[in-house]
Amino acid sequence: MVKSRSIRLAKLTKSIGGSQIINEVDLHIPSGEFFALLGPSGCGKTTLLRLIGGLEKVDSGKIFLGDTDITDLPVHKRSINIVFQNYALFPHLDVFDNIAYSLVVQGIPKEEIERRVLKILKAFHIESHIFKYPAQLSGGQQQRVALARAIINEPDVLLLDEPLAALDFKLREKMLIELIELQDKLKTTFIYVTHDQFEALTLADHMAIMNHSGEIEQIGTPKQIYEFPVSSFVAKFVGTTNLLQGTLHQLGEDPYMEVPSLGKFHVEIPQKKEWMSEGCDVSMSIRPEKIFISKKPVKNFSNTLTGTVSSIVYHGRSTQYNLLLKDQTRLQVFEQNEEHFPQETIDYDDEVFLYWQKENVVLLEK
Amino acid sequence: MMQGKTSSLSKTSNLFLVVLTFLFLYTPIVVLFLFSFNAKAFPAPWDHFTVHWYQELFNSSALWKSFRNSLTVATLSTFLSLSMGILLIFFRVSGGRISRFLPMFYGSLIIPETVLAVSLLTFFSIFGIPLGLPTVVVSHAVLGLGFVVPIVYTHYLELDPKLQEASLVLGATPSQTFFKITLPLLRPTLIATGVLIFIISFDDFIITYFCSGTSFQTLSVYLFSTIRSGISPVVNALSVFLLALTSLLVLFFFSPKMRTRIF
Amino acid sequence: MNESIISTLPKRKQLTLFNPFSKKDIPFAIGCPALIWQILFFYLPILIMIVSSIFLLSKEGDVQGVTLDHFRACLNAMHFSIIFRSIGVALLTALICLLIAFPFAYFLAFRGGRYKNLLLFFLIVPFWTNFLLHVCAWFFVLEKNGFLNNLLLSLNLVKEPIHFLNSFFSVMLMMTYHYLPFMILPIYSSLEKFNFSLYEASSDLGATWIQTLKTVLIPLTMPAIRLGFLLVYIPSFGEFAIPELLGGDKYYYAGNVVTHYMLGEHTAPLGAAFTVMCSCFLVISIGLFLWLTKKLSKFLMGGCQS
Repeated sequence: MVKSRSIRLAKLTKSIGGSQIINEVDLHIPSGEFFALLGPSGCGKTTLLRLIGGLEKVDSGKIFLGDTDITDLPVHKRSINIVFQNYALFPHLDVFDNIAYSLVVQGIPKEEIERRVLKILKAFHIESHIFKYPAQLSGGQQQRVALARAIINEPDVLLLDEPLAALDFKLREKMLIELIELQDKLKTTFIYVTHDQFEALTLADHMAIMNHSGEIEQIGTPKQIYEFPVSSFVAKFVGTTNLLQGTLHQLGEDPYMEVPSLGKFHVEIPQKKEWMSEGCDVSMSIRPEKIFISKKPVKNFSNTLTGTVSSIVYHGRSTQYNLLLKDQTRLQVFEQNEEHFPQETIDYDDEVFLYWQKENVVLLEK
Repeated sequence: MMQGKTSSLSKTSNLFLVVLTFLFLYTPIVVLFLFSFNAKAFPAPWDHFTVHWYQELFNSSALWKSFRNSLTVATLSTFLSLSMGILLIFFRVSGGRISRFLPMFYGSLIIPETVLAVSLLTFFSIFGIPLGLPTVVVSHAVLGLGFVVPIVYTHYLELDPKLQEASLVLGATPSQTFFKITLPLLRPTLIATGVLIFIISFDDFIITYFCSGTSFQTLSVYLFSTIRSGISPVVNALSVFLLALTSLLVLFFFSPKMRTRIF
Repeated sequence: MNESIISTLPKRKQLTLFNPFSKKDIPFAIGCPALIWQILFFYLPILIMIVSSIFLLSKEGDVQGVTLDHFRACLNAMHFSIIFRSIGVALLTALICLLIAFPFAYFLAFRGGRYKNLLLFFLIVPFWTNFLLHVCAWFFVLEKNGFLNNLLLSLNLVKEPIHFLNSFFSVMLMMTYHYLPFMILPIYSSLEKFNFSLYEASSDLGATWIQTLKTVLIPLTMPAIRLGFLLVYIPSFGEFAIPELLGGDKYYYAGNVVTHYMLGEHTAPLGAAFTVMCSCFLVISIGLFLWLTKKLSKFLMGGCQS
C-alpha cells in the first residue's frame, strides 16, 4: 500500500504577537497533488506553510500527514521539506555539501551520498557548479540547488514559499514548467504558496484562495476558481473582473438582475444559494474576456450595453479596452488579437456595443 | 572623497592635527625603541649600541615569569569566556529563551573596573578564597564574558534565521544544526572576539592588582611595583619585543589571506 | 514587485525556534554556565560589596553588626572634593579626547583613501600593547633626566629641567594617551558609514562647512560620540593606576582613595561605602550627560524633528 502523503488541517488557529493570523482553518490536500495556496501579501499563507512545516507551533487545531497526527512532531522529524523564498542556501558550504546536507545528517554512507547527489545534479543540469559556493551562483542556479537540496531525501511533502519571486520573467516561466514536471515525476505532495495568480493557475491541480483575514475563501481546481468564484474577493483577486451591483428578481423562471440606471440583465441561476431571495442585493461578475465588443450591433446575445472607449491598452496577445458606461461605471474588455488586420478597428472615444451571454456571468453575494 | 566648499586651510589644519596626534601616540614608543639599544641604563644619555638588554630580558626571571603569567591568564580566561559564550548560543539554538537575560551581560560595560575589582576582592575575602592564579583567571573571565556575550550574541541575532530553520527542516537535530551551521557562521566573530578579550586580559591591571594577592604577578602588576624604583632598560627591551609581536599579530590577522579564510 | 515580497515576510524577526524536545518552551536557561558565572562572579560580589558598606568591624576584623558610620564618614568636604575632582578629570579627559578624536576620525574616514587601513593599523598597534608599558614609556620621556628634558636642555630652550612628572599635566597626558583610541574608534566607525550624499546635498543647498558640521555631521554621529564619551568617561572616573604613578602624592582621585581604603586594615567597609557613593555620583553624572546630549542634538538640528 502506498503511504498517503496527504495533508489535512483541522481547525488550525495561530496568533502572532497578539493578532490572529490563522483562524480555525480546515484544509485537505490530497496525496501526490500540486496544491497552490494563493492570497494577497500578508494574509497569513506563509504562516500556514510554516505551521505545516513545523517552524511555528499551533495555538490550537491539528495537522495530519496521511493518517498520522504530526501536530506535536518536532521540525526535524517531519518528512516535510521547505524551499524558502530566498533559498536559504548555506553560504559556507558548496553546492555539493548543501545538497548532501539532509543525507549527511542522517548518517548515510559516503558512497551512497555521492551517488545520489551526482544523480540529482545531472537531473537539474547543475553538475558544472558542483564545487561552487552559493554566492557564486546566479538566481536561477541557486533556486535549483535549493530544490535539489529539498527533494534529495525524498520527503513526503514539499512546501514552497514563493520560490520563483526573485527570478526574472523568462526564467520564471521556464521554472514553472520544470516544477510541474518534477512534481509529476516524484509524486510528492507539493504545497506552493504565492501571491501571483498566474503561477498558481499554471501549476496547481487544486488551489485555495486565502483572504486578508487568514480565512480560506474557496478551494477548487484553477478552472473552478477562475470561472466560478464564490465571492467578490476571489473574483477580483484571481484575474480581473467587472462587477455590477444590483438586485435580483424572479428567481423562479427567467431570472434577471436590475442594475440602477443601466437596466435589466438576463442571468442564469444554475444552483440557488441560500442568500438569494427576491429583491436581494447581488453582484454580477463578468470576466473581461467574456464580453464581446463591436462598433455595430450584433444579434444572438442575451445581454447588451453601450459605452464609450476611454482608453486602449495593447497587451500583445490581447487588447484591453477600458469603457465608460452612461452612468459613469467603468468596464474592462479583453479582445484576443486573432488577426493582424482585423475587420473592425476600435478607437478612442468610439461608441461601442458590448455583448455577453447570460451563462457566462457569476452571481455573488454583495 | 569630499569635494566642495572645504577650504584648503581646514584641510591642512586637519592633516596637521593628525600628524601631531600620531607624533603624540608614537613618541614614547619610538624613544623606548631607541633606548632599548642603549648600553647604559636609563637615565643616562646615549652611550653605544647594544643588544645586551634583550639578552637579559630572556634571562630575567621575575620579568619573564610575570610575562608568562600574563600569557597563561589570558589564554585560560579567553578560553573560559569563549566557551561559556558558545554554550549560551548552543542553549539558544536548542530552544532556550535567553533574550530576557541578555541585558544582564551588559553590566560589565557600564561599571568602572575599579568597582568590579573592589567587589571581587570583597567576595573572595569573605568566602576565604586564597588569591592567586585561579582568582585572576575567574575575574578575567567575567571581564571577557562582558564582551563575548554582547558581541557574539548580537552577531548571532544578525544571522539569517532561515539558515537554521532550513537545517532543521532538512532533518538535522538542533545540536547538528548548531555544530554544522551556527558555529561555522559565527566563526569570524568568535575569533575576533577571542583576540580582543585576550588582549584585554593581557593588558589588564586594576582587577589583576586587586585579585592576584602577593605571590602571583602578571606583567602589569610587576611593572607597577617596579616602576617606582626606576625602570631598567630590560623593560624597554620587553616593550619593543611586545610591540613587534603585536604588530605581527595584527598584520597576520588582518592580512588579505587570513581575511578571506576567516571572514 | 519588491514591496510585495517584503511585506510577505513575517512581521517581526522570526526567531521562535520552539523547543523541539518538549511540548513547552524551556522557561529560562537555568544551568547555563555563562549566566551562573555572571551572577556568581559579577552581581553577587557587587551586592556583597554594597552590603559590606554597612558592616561594623571589631578590632580583629570580624563583623559585629551593622552601622551607617561609614557612610557618615564619607559625607564630608574631603570626600566630596575627591569625587568632584575625579568627575572633573574624567570630564576633561573625555573632552580633550573628543576634540582630538573627532578631526582625527574625520581625516581617517574621509581623507584616508588608500591609506585608511595602514593608518588604522598604526592607530591600533599601540592600543594593543600593555598599558603599564605605556606608562613606563612616558616616564622615559617625561622624567627630570628624561628624553624630553634632555632635548629641551640641549636645544637651550630651558635652563633647568622641567618637572613634568607628578603633576596634573602628566596625569592628563597619560589619561588622554590611554583613552584616545576608545574615542577615535566609535567615531571613526560611525563616520565611515556616513552617507556622503547627505553632505553633498547640504553643500549643494549652500551650507558652509561649519553649518554642515553642525546640522548634519554631528547629530548623525551623536550616538557614536556618546558611546565614545562613555567609554572614556566611565573608566577615567575610576582610574587609579595613572594618578598613582604619575600624579605623585599630591593628587587623590576616587580610584586611589578606594584602593587605599580597600587594601588597608579594617577600612574595607569604608572603602565599600565610598565606592557606593562614587557610583551614585557617576550614575547621576551619566544621566545628566545623556540628557544634555539629547538637548544638544535637538538644538543643533534647529528644532526640526525627523
